[in-house]
Amino acid sequence: MNMDEMTRMAFENLWKTKLRTGLTVLGVVIGIGALVSMVSFGTGMQKNITEAFLQNDVFTSMQVLPGKINLEEAMRGNPQALLQQAKKDSVALDHAALQKIRAIPEVEIAFPEIRFPVKVRFQDREATTNLRALPAVMGKFKPLSNLAAGAFYLNDSQKVAILSPRLLRDLKIRLIDPANPKKTTIEDTLKGFRSVRADSLMGKDIELITSVLDLGKVMRNPMAVAGQAGASGLPFSDKSTHFRVAGIAKQASGFEHGFLESGLILPMKAAESLPRFNFSSVWDILNRKPDSGAYSSLYVRVKKMEHLAPVKKRIEDMGFGVVSIADQLEDFKKGFLIFDTLLGAVGTIALIVAALGIINTMVMSILERTREIGIMKAVGGGETDIRGIFFVEAGVIGFVGGVFGLGLGWLVTRIANAIANIYVAKEGGTPMDFFYIPLWLILGAMAFSVCVSLLAGLYPAVRASRVNPVEALRHD
Amino acid sequence: MKKGISLKTILQIRNLHKSYDKGKVHVKALRGVSLDVAEGEFVSIVGRSGCGKSTLLNVIGGLDGPSSGAVIVRNRDLSKMKRSELADHRRTTVGMVFQSFNLIPSRSALDNVTLPLAFADVPRKDRRPKASRILVQMGLKSRLHHVPSELSGGEAQRVAVARALVNDPVILLADEPTGNLDSRTAAEILDLLLNLNRERGLTVLMVSHDEGSARRVSHRMVKLLDGKIAKEVRLRRLA
Repeated sequence: MNMDEMTRMAFENLWKTKLRTGLTVLGVVIGIGALVSMVSFGTGMQKNITEAFLQNDVFTSMQVLPGKINLEEAMRGNPQALLQQAKKDSVALDHAALQKIRAIPEVEIAFPEIRFPVKVRFQDREATTNLRALPAVMGKFKPLSNLAAGAFYLNDSQKVAILSPRLLRDLKIRLIDPANPKKTTIEDTLKGFRSVRADSLMGKDIELITSVLDLGKVMRNPMAVAGQAGASGLPFSDKSTHFRVAGIAKQASGFEHGFLESGLILPMKAAESLPRFNFSSVWDILNRKPDSGAYSSLYVRVKKMEHLAPVKKRIEDMGFGVVSIADQLEDFKKGFLIFDTLLGAVGTIALIVAALGIINTMVMSILERTREIGIMKAVGGGETDIRGIFFVEAGVIGFVGGVFGLGLGWLVTRIANAIANIYVAKEGGTPMDFFYIPLWLILGAMAFSVCVSLLAGLYPAVRASRVNPVEALRHD
Repeated sequence: MKKGISLKTILQIRNLHKSYDKGKVHVKALRGVSLDVAEGEFVSIVGRSGCGKSTLLNVIGGLDGPSSGAVIVRNRDLSKMKRSELADHRRTTVGMVFQSFNLIPSRSALDNVTLPLAFADVPRKDRRPKASRILVQMGLKSRLHHVPSELSGGEAQRVAVARALVNDPVILLADEPTGNLDSRTAAEILDLLLNLNRERGLTVLMVSHDEGSARRVSHRMVKLLDGKIAKEVRLRRLA
């Protein structure tokens, strides 16, 4: 008997016992639905993180630090080891080193990293944020090449600033989405938020307030500085500098890149000219030799993704430490594999329960159809034919269950996603897709469903094929 | 068209024994049966209930294996066949008709008759035309799409005969084919079997408890008693 006849018979037989078949298929549907929705959560998270990495070009960038570092030791909870290591192996990360790195053919761009906290005063509101200085050339690359409003500066000396959505949020300014212009809600008003169009902020004045060491204060009252707490006693004074808003960065996904974590981006030279303390980060305090002109860290970008590893090695060979998020990708992948496996295992348990349902249904079916099996044998049906009929029946249950299970899985993920995004929106985040059902998951779930069902049908099929025809024909 | 009847032996049974356990009881159903059947012969096997008639037919049909002895159909010994070969024997060499018709209740008359064709791997496009043709020959043109519960006893048995013949077997095995029918319908079925034997030269082995009917249609009547052949009666000569 050929496959098309077996399939026809399988459908006929299953249709005869619609309720029982329906309930058995439902078991498979729930199993596959659980499997698909759970694994799609894992793949969704993996996709979101990987895409955030790709969008922000982290696979082509790295941070160069003076001295080799041992992040693993630090992660084990021993920061002392990290610091000692850094000091011991320290090599000057100065202008000469920067030039050497720039000379590597695969390096696209390299510049010293400047980051420091500033107080921002904008449209009668104040907030404290982190400033980051970037050269104008960075405007060519994602995510800075595509701003929500305005344009990235073209000159490193311009007194302009790029604002991040995070800073605007801190300033209690909500941007109106042109595609979905909503009026200010009562909740916004109560919290003091003001809704504005991004375009309307372009060219507006923004005041940056930085702290500088006030030697005059020290000289006037050295005792107060040494022994008293309180702002008035500290030897600092504020300096105000005015900039213009040139652009507003787009709202980053849940996995923001370093550029967007900073509330404010300024042109390199303009940032350098801001009055401030003579250090920009903890690395300065740890490593910088006061008169060396060395940098705390460098940002290095390579031309292509595949250049990252060789360039990283060359820089490490120079005696510097290199940190790149791409290093963590393999660890991420391994982590997600374990995560997906755990989620898949939960779904598989549901499918195993469904498989027991299939076995039960088919054994019942054999008992009911014993006489029919006898008739089929009497008119020439071989063991292979009988086995095939029952095997195909199990396969049909698996296939139909798989198709509807995928549908259920999709539905569950859509509902869960909608609910999750309500919370995300409440927290001020960008709605995102937490679930992802790739083609491999669709095909894999279908194959898994059919295979598990066939496996469940194996015993009943063999049992049916071994039925004694003489006894079967006597069976009522 | 009438075929010429030869005296070539189509079935040889040699010292056939068959025993089985029925619960705690060991049943010796056949105790050394030996029988030759010629091609085109109509042989009736008669005897009381439990004498081993149906067991003999089941062994010849390849539904049951012998405990010892040989059953040779067209020079092939069934006792030495594998299970797959026995299925092939049931599919192509013999056709079986039962007292209780044994039609699949959920399938129409046409679908019941196409089933052996599907097992014989006859191409799908040829199955329905062939099954329809044979059902029409059995006078069931208007009943093709009726399920067994919608057929009379005589119609159901004619569907069963059509199913037994659809793969062109060389021997028709009929186990009490009139046992569930009224006398008029039983006579019609016997006439049908007689016709198949006479017109097509089909070898027929019929089990019956009704000696009168057996005498009317058979060339030879074999009487079984306690698993042994008690008497053989030649009723008419093969031409």
